[in-house]
Amino acid sequence: MSILNRRRFMTGAAGTAGSLAVLAAFGGRAFAQDIAIRHFWWGNPERDKRTFAVIDLYNQKNPGTVVSGESLGFADYFTKLTTQIAGGNMPDVIQQGYGVLFEYIANGAVVPLDDYVGKSLDISKMDESAIQAGTVDGKFYALSIGANSHMAMYNTRLYEEAGIKVGENFDPYGYTYDDLKRIAVEIKNATGVPGTDDNTADYQNFSDFTVQKGANLYNEDGSFGPTQEIVEEYWSIWAGIRDAGGTPPGPESAGLAGVSELSQLGVVTGKSATSYLWSNQLVGAQGLMQDPLGAAMYPNTPEMIPGSVIQPSQFVCLSRDSSNPEAATAYMSAFVNDPEMTAVLGLERGIPSNSDVRAALQSSLTPPEAVSVAFFDAIQGKTAPLTAPPPSGSAEVEQTFERVAVSVLLGERSIPEVASDFLAQAKAILARA
Amino acid sequence: MEKFFRRNFAGYAFLAPWLIGFFLLALGPIVASLYLSFTKYNIVRPPQWIGLDNYFYMFQFDDRFKKALQVTFTFVVISVPAKLIFALAVAMALDKGVRAIGWYRALFYLPSILGGSIAVAILWRQLFDYNGVINAVVRWFGIDGPYWLSDPRYSLWTLIVLAAWQFGSPMLIFLAGLRAIPNDLYEAAEIDAAGPVRKFFAITVPLLAPVIFFNLVLQMIEAFKSFSGAFVISGGAGAPLDSLLFFTVYLYNEAFQFLRMGYASALAWVLLLIIALFTAIAFWTSKYWVHYENERG
Repeated sequence: MSILNRRRFMTGAAGTAGSLAVLAAFGGRAFAQDIAIRHFWWGNPERDKRTFAVIDLYNQKNPGTVVSGESLGFADYFTKLTTQIAGGNMPDVIQQGYGVLFEYIANGAVVPLDDYVGKSLDISKMDESAIQAGTVDGKFYALSIGANSHMAMYNTRLYEEAGIKVGENFDPYGYTYDDLKRIAVEIKNATGVPGTDDNTADYQNFSDFTVQKGANLYNEDGSFGPTQEIVEEYWSIWAGIRDAGGTPPGPESAGLAGVSELSQLGVVTGKSATSYLWSNQLVGAQGLMQDPLGAAMYPNTPEMIPGSVIQPSQFVCLSRDSSNPEAATAYMSAFVNDPEMTAVLGLERGIPSNSDVRAALQSSLTPPEAVSVAFFDAIQGKTAPLTAPPPSGSAEVEQTFERVAVSVLLGERSIPEVASDFLAQAKAILARA
Repeated sequence: MEKFFRRNFAGYAFLAPWLIGFFLLALGPIVASLYLSFTKYNIVRPPQWIGLDNYFYMFQFDDRFKKALQVTFTFVVISVPAKLIFALAVAMALDKGVRAIGWYRALFYLPSILGGSIAVAILWRQLFDYNGVINAVVRWFGIDGPYWLSDPRYSLWTLIVLAAWQFGSPMLIFLAGLRAIPNDLYEAAEIDAAGPVRKFFAITVPLLAPVIFFNLVLQMIEAFKSFSGAFVISGGAGAPLDSLLFFTVYLYNEAFQFLRMGYASALAWVLLLIIALFTAIAFWTSKYWVHYENERG
């Protein structure tokens, strides 16, 4: 007698068939002649909800094409993309940010779109500046899906309770670090909640501060711009706010160094009244909390030299591994132009670069989106010119800053000592890269 | 030769899935990583041969490499004995003919199944948070607990506790070893008026030595390779201040954060050699303290 009798064999076969079907369902694979397009982005719960809804819409409107979405948090996104490059199975449509994008273009992982413009891809309504930002050496690579800038998001309820009023004792578009210190302490005294996150280990704020001090983050020769004085002054300013009680205790902030998860931010968890992010994250952050958020620029020095830039938040790009670039670019085109789809996406990825889309959205803005639009109107003319993309090694310099700043937060070593240590490490990293 | 194959064909056929998997998914990548360790490779561009440069850089200039070694050694040296002592203590308690022993065994084994998982690491982060459960308990005694996770003086200890908590698999092996010790030895010792401490060191430890040695080697290798807990709790970068920069976390960072696949491969090979060296040392010393029952002399 065979151990593998007929009945067992059949159950086994049925099981295999069943799991294949399940696998197919999970992968969203298309059968027969359907064209399968994979779209991969980094996101947050709000963005994922909207993007999957948009994909459903597109699939309904375009029988014969089946778009499937994949999403990860920012921290894991590039890890997965990297392994996909190595394996030669990148999704057709990938999301990129200003900075890393240029590395991918230089390495050929992202391919030019020029052949599809005017055919499957319509960019006639895109802002010229957005097209320029996605163009390298005369070739158009990346479709901007929103403009972005640095934004301080504050809990309006806590600000009100402390008597901080916009236009009276708070100018969201022109306040200094001294103002911030005063406001933060007043909020702490009135509500018990520290008025602001501690940005000692926040590289975004530090890069703004560098420009506010009249320096560049990276010089034209690729060397690191900030000087010993700038680093020391930056950390001293935040030490002043911290010592005055305006921020959570140093060790608590140390635990958040380098954390990009929205759900862990001070303003979302209620551990502080202000957090510092990218403007397009306002919608996502508001989705995680009850109190309405207000928007301000980052604090500045009394000289008020602009430090923040306006830059494309994200791009959608065509990957080298796409097997059907026509269908992929058609989907990308709809993603930025289709009235129904862009209405669902709203301003979650930033202010759209398509003028028609912007106009159409105007009438149906949700409250946080309205705050974003007002913010963008107000910061026009108050931002710094867009600089060249950072050199390779910049991501490591950023991580090093977040790491060494922790010893400032813990009070382990003196600020001048940590500052010179950081600059020496940054120099070594850039020399090696 | 032909006869050999004909006779063993069925055996190899059944082994085939494993063999194919081993050659394709394990040996292939291992050999590839040896080659890559002599190259500069960022995945997108083809690897570029640079000889021993990765190794020179590692030992001459790389301070984070040294830091990673220091953290990993500290972790291994403390967590492995702690885990083994804990496992042995629980095994001895369970060996005393406890009722419903099956339940206890399963219960104590549970952390080992869960312990390596991401979910438990996240839970650990919550427990040791400044406003977490641990500090809430400590506060009942009027003590203001420290920032366990963001203070480099304490962060590694949270992971050592996590490792010791996963004592299940060495415990089960100890339990089996304890069962194999003949009871008449203890009875004879009792007649000679030996106390529990004396019995432990004169009978249990020497007879259990092969099992202790087995557990030691296994757990040591495991500890050197430990990754997921440190990765999750340190936010993926070894924070705070590199106090959780386990060797594997550093390796992951170099590979996937900074795309230095060649350098990361070199790091992986150094880790392999370190583990091999320590295993060899353990085997060498075992001559002096591990005796097997069937040994002559």
